[in-house]
Amino acid sequence: MSETYLTTSNLLGLAGDLLTAGTQVIAPAQDAEPLVGPPQSGPRVAYRVIRKPEEMALEAGMPANSLKEFFLPSTEPLLKWRYQKNDVELKEVETTFQPRVVLGARPCDSAALEILDRVMGWDYRDELWFGRREATTVVNLACPGEDDLCFCTTVGSGPDSVRGADMLLVPSGDGYFVEVLTPKGEALVTAHRERFSQVEKGRAEAEQFRKEAKAKVDRNLNASPERIAGWLAGHFEHPFWDKLALQCHGCGACAAVCPTCHCFDIVDEPEGVLGGTRRRNWDTCQTSKFTVHASGHNPRTNQNVRFRQRIMHKFFIYPERFEQVLCTGCGRCARVCPGGMDLLDVLAELEELAGTEATPSKGAA
Amino acid sequence: MNIYQPHLARVEELVEETPDTRTLRLTFKDPRVAEQFTFKAGQFAEYSVFGAGECTFCIASPPTRRDYVECSFKTVGKVTTALRGVNVGDTIGLRGPYGNWFPLDQMSGKNVVFIAGGIGLAPVRCVIWNVLDEREKYKDVTIIYGARSVSDLVYKRELEQWAGRSDVKLWQTVDPGGETPEWKGEIGFVPTIVEKAAPSAKDTFAVVCGPPIMIKFTLPVLQKLGFPDENIYTTLENRMKCGLGKCGRCNIGPVYVCKDGPVFTAAQLKALPAEY
Repeated sequence: MSETYLTTSNLLGLAGDLLTAGTQVIAPAQDAEPLVGPPQSGPRVAYRVIRKPEEMALEAGMPANSLKEFFLPSTEPLLKWRYQKNDVELKEVETTFQPRVVLGARPCDSAALEILDRVMGWDYRDELWFGRREATTVVNLACPGEDDLCFCTTVGSGPDSVRGADMLLVPSGDGYFVEVLTPKGEALVTAHRERFSQVEKGRAEAEQFRKEAKAKVDRNLNASPERIAGWLAGHFEHPFWDKLALQCHGCGACAAVCPTCHCFDIVDEPEGVLGGTRRRNWDTCQTSKFTVHASGHNPRTNQNVRFRQRIMHKFFIYPERFEQVLCTGCGRCARVCPGGMDLLDVLAELEELAGTEATPSKGAA
Repeated sequence: MNIYQPHLARVEELVEETPDTRTLRLTFKDPRVAEQFTFKAGQFAEYSVFGAGECTFCIASPPTRRDYVECSFKTVGKVTTALRGVNVGDTIGLRGPYGNWFPLDQMSGKNVVFIAGGIGLAPVRCVIWNVLDEREKYKDVTIIYGARSVSDLVYKRELEQWAGRSDVKLWQTVDPGGETPEWKGEIGFVPTIVEKAAPSAKDTFAVVCGPPIMIKFTLPVLQKLGFPDENIYTTLENRMKCGLGKCGRCNIGPVYVCKDGPVFTAAQLKALPAEY
């Protein structure tokens, strides 16, 4: 929509203004060393609700968590019940939320929001998701692309992608070149006019930053999601799957850190004898309990087929249904896996298979 | 109301169908919901026992009877055990209807063969009563129903009603060894009885529900009788949570059973990976 410039000190000032006005600010922040437990190898950066502008750690590397938990919390109430003799009283949950701003979102994390809007909005609209989406202004910070487990450029995003964002900051000089992208972004600039420069500047430097970042990420993986989806469509059964998950423990850590994994469980938690809370909790297709029937029958009998589901859902089912790959290339799954499963390797192998076996063998159509 | 919020319903009647299977008749507490709630034969709902959780079953009563909805379930897991404990007058939750339905419009003017095994009669019963309540729209109606034993037959009163109707051909069977001295029906597995009944495939739709093993051996019999896969309908019951196409649990290949199903043709099933 429009461009402007924001100095580093004015970005801090903007965070301060928002906090003073009572707006919730979510930003990458550095965690203190834990009081108990083993010492950490380095500072842990994570998105969290900040209390002071100085807590922001915008250039301290990839946040350990994604933004998912701020839109689809790991656990959240869906309703409360209370028995009164034969009757039950239900209490609905709020679906409107206080305005808040994400400062310094990674483009791979904002892209996930846009991707998940599809599944959350088709046919039945998930008001808890969209209530939070509408209340939130997302300010992206272009990523330098310095991590060798990132592959955003392969899956339709990029280190300067604006998918799901209302505003984009690109490092340039002692500040940021600013692209204002949506009416929500405009509203933020208008409300804090004095923080933004009146004239556009720093464009050339920002261009250079974007170009270099993209070139760095491009080196990490060479694969085509379209070609892979075409291969997956015809290869539900294939020897490739049979050895895939030998390293996989089925712990689901990949799904927890994934910005796009959105599967959930619905569970009743009694509180006392008469009442309780029905909650929605994150769940993952990597556990055997995910699909087991009450009868004991389980359509997914082993870890290989459960890992196949993870790949199929992200690179075939979701694109087939919602025209987007269910992956933003953030690389977190590969970083956290205790078994060393590496999605980049899997995709590179699939790319190779797709190149050598163009015609479907057997399995799903 | 958000999409996960159930309606409250009162248990009006309960029928003990077999030692482990029960039918509940429910009415909505809110008269506006009762007025507005409509569904089609084959759709399912999420039933809540608050404190135990939610559970997915088809609506077992026909849409032609609007004063109540019924569900039939076998006591197997946590929620069905809790449902086993409810009494007349108790309140449970219900949200729905969800999913697709049997194509009664296409079946109109044609013959219909219903084939069910065990508790699989529940979704079929919904369609049977829908058809019988509008009997003039359909040609021959054949029902083939079997269970492991006489005591495992569900909807016994209704089986008597159907047996007594001249416009319904009813075949009842129990597995060998499941008969009693008084048993007058067939003895044999459902696919065998389908072969014996040999319904004509001409202008005929088949609705088949039951345990996977029954479906597996019934489909080839229907094919031998000349039924094209497109005219054979069945339902899939994958584990579900949301019923709304969000929670990701019921995927079979690219299919969301809760949205694209639960009703599928045999032709559609054959195109799916065998992960159900």
